[in-house]
Amino acid sequence: MTNAMELYQMLPKTNCKKCGKASCMAFAVALMGRELKPEDCPPLKEEPKYKENYEKLSSLFKPSEGTTETGLIVHEDLCFGCGNCVVACPPNVANDPYGVGSGNAPTNANKLVLAVENGIVKAQNLGECRRFGKNKTLCNGCIVTCPVEAIEFV
Amino acid sequence: MEKNYHVCTGCGLLCDDIEVEAEKNIINKVLTACRIGVAHMKEGKGEAIFRVDNKPVDEAVAISEAATILKNAKNPLIFGLGASTNETQKIAIELAKKINATLDDTSSFCLGSLVEAIIREKIKTCTLDEVRNKADVIIFWGTDPSDSHPRHLSKYSYFPRGKEKQRGWEEERTAIAVDVRKSHTAKICGNYFFQIPPKGDAEFIDALIAGLSGKLPKTSYNYPPKKILELANILKGAKFGVIFAGRGLVNSLENLEPIFRLMKALNEKANFHLMPMVGSCNTMGFNENLFAETGYVNSVKFENGTVLHGPEYSIVESLKAKTVDAALIIGSDPFSILPGSIVKNLLEIPVVSIDSYETLTSRNSKVYINTAVSGVEAGGTATRMDRKKVSFEPFIETNHPSEETILKKIMEAL
Amino acid sequence: MDFGSFLTNPEIKVKIVTYRDIFQDKAMLENRFGEEYRNRSAIIKLDPADLKQLNLKIGDTVTIKNSFGSVVVKAEESGYETPHRGIAYMPKGPWSITLISDETGGTGVPKFKDISVTITSAKGEKVTEIESLF
Repeated sequence: MTNAMELYQMLPKTNCKKCGKASCMAFAVALMGRELKPEDCPPLKEEPKYKENYEKLSSLFKPSEGTTETGLIVHEDLCFGCGNCVVACPPNVANDPYGVGSGNAPTNANKLVLAVENGIVKAQNLGECRRFGKNKTLCNGCIVTCPVEAIEFV
Repeated sequence: MEKNYHVCTGCGLLCDDIEVEAEKNIINKVLTACRIGVAHMKEGKGEAIFRVDNKPVDEAVAISEAATILKNAKNPLIFGLGASTNETQKIAIELAKKINATLDDTSSFCLGSLVEAIIREKIKTCTLDEVRNKADVIIFWGTDPSDSHPRHLSKYSYFPRGKEKQRGWEEERTAIAVDVRKSHTAKICGNYFFQIPPKGDAEFIDALIAGLSGKLPKTSYNYPPKKILELANILKGAKFGVIFAGRGLVNSLENLEPIFRLMKALNEKANFHLMPMVGSCNTMGFNENLFAETGYVNSVKFENGTVLHGPEYSIVESLKAKTVDAALIIGSDPFSILPGSIVKNLLEIPVVSIDSYETLTSRNSKVYINTAVSGVEAGGTATRMDRKKVSFEPFIETNHPSEETILKKIMEAL
Repeated sequence: MDFGSFLTNPEIKVKIVTYRDIFQDKAMLENRFGEEYRNRSAIIKLDPADLKQLNLKIGDTVTIKNSFGSVVVKAEESGYETPHRGIAYMPKGPWSITLISDETGGTGVPKFKDISVTITSAKGEKVTEIESLF
């Protein structure tokens, strides 16, 4: 996954403010947060010299099949439902400390980002995911705890 | 909201927090269980099968044929029971006494020696709940719970918050893997994976013991001493350490002495516990029940009220030496777990197979009785890998008889 | 000098380490006479260099043999970063156990962790069926 700095490198870096943000860096941050899309930068979209970067950025943010709003993909064929990600996911722990946070069955399922169903992890309630929204962070709690690389963010 | 949780009897963890949605005896949805658990719960299917000489018969004929085989045998073998309830196991022990049988389970070639040391209190152990609440240094040695006990790390040993472990796994726990290959568990342990050559465990233990007392750790396979010293330092700092020992460790040692030495050395510097990674859902129960009855955990022969014990009464040696002349195999498939060169001798004697599903053993048996799946279609109690008793009710109706019922009927028919 | 590679049908000697695979266990619970269980069980994972020495591609079949038994299984790459020539990995189960020694020294414990075999290419041959193992 990219960070805001990498995105910034692909922007015009003119701080023209046509996107409504104060600077290209601010635009990059808004892109990261999925608050704005690449096409919200008029020069990037229109000027031929940015064509390559525009296409690259667009493909980065193109919602590919099966991905969720946070870009979280579960490779169901790899997952075997160990639940490591469910227990390690910070919002899961915060929202259900004595259930999944303590390794047990969910007690507050409607606020969980990850839960195991029929032996495979399911992503849900992505509004709670730390990679979602304005204050998103590049949390990787579910990735580093997975024994089979069944979760990735695209 | 009060939820109705079920126990999963898919492995030795006996997870007790599984939600199942079923309609008309068909399981629609299983929550929180791993893939093994789900496959296990969906295992039971179809009509009950009773077979004699590969021909379908009714239950009474199968029972009577099984009883005849056992009655006519001079030294029948009873084997399996690792997935049976404590109640079934106790009946099997009674049956073995009655027919002067040799009685054994998989622990004789797996972790039995270590389990016996735990039961005899020769090694300090603890419960899984204590591990969750307190453990700060966790070693997986010759075991890959990610594949064998999938929720081990998430429910108890690494990731959950516990009473004295509130800040989470990154800050408060160190997980270490010692293994001959980079297993899924070893992968999670990252830099704390110590890869040793096959049969290199005993040497690694002694090198580690040297490291614990500040000596230079040496191995014939030139394991970097610096890494061993680094490991020794982590272990020395453990406030509540636990070693989960698997077959990879036990099968590579000649005897348990290296483990005893290591535990002694560790407990001189820190606080360490050990737990065998018992595989089947009630192998621990079998070992405990047989121990309570005979003073041994496996490999016994009953003879007119006395008990003989020794490796010669293990399934491996008794098949190899052809000392047994019939076999009653309950919930186990020796053809999938024992060396072909030994297990082929089963083909020469009459076998009664009692199992909840078709196996190589059931296909090669004279009598096959297809039973209910314990923990899904039949209730009872089982003993978790940390010796905690867990009881469960059936949640799927079945027309398959339980193992317990079948063993009782065989007893009566004798 | 490694003369094995000069033979028309090259042969290598390896030690097998058995392991457990959750997907294999799952397939077994579902149907141990099924295709998925066979595909998950009748495999051997080799070091890429060993694979190359046998002139094999991933998925080709090999004959694994010793004095205790012989099976045909599919060859795969182990995927481990650390080279491990001479050591191969096989899942536990009916295929790998046919290769385990009956020598136990009277202990009741077979040498599950000590399996020495020779491997040759069996290109074109079919994987041994579970029914024909016993």
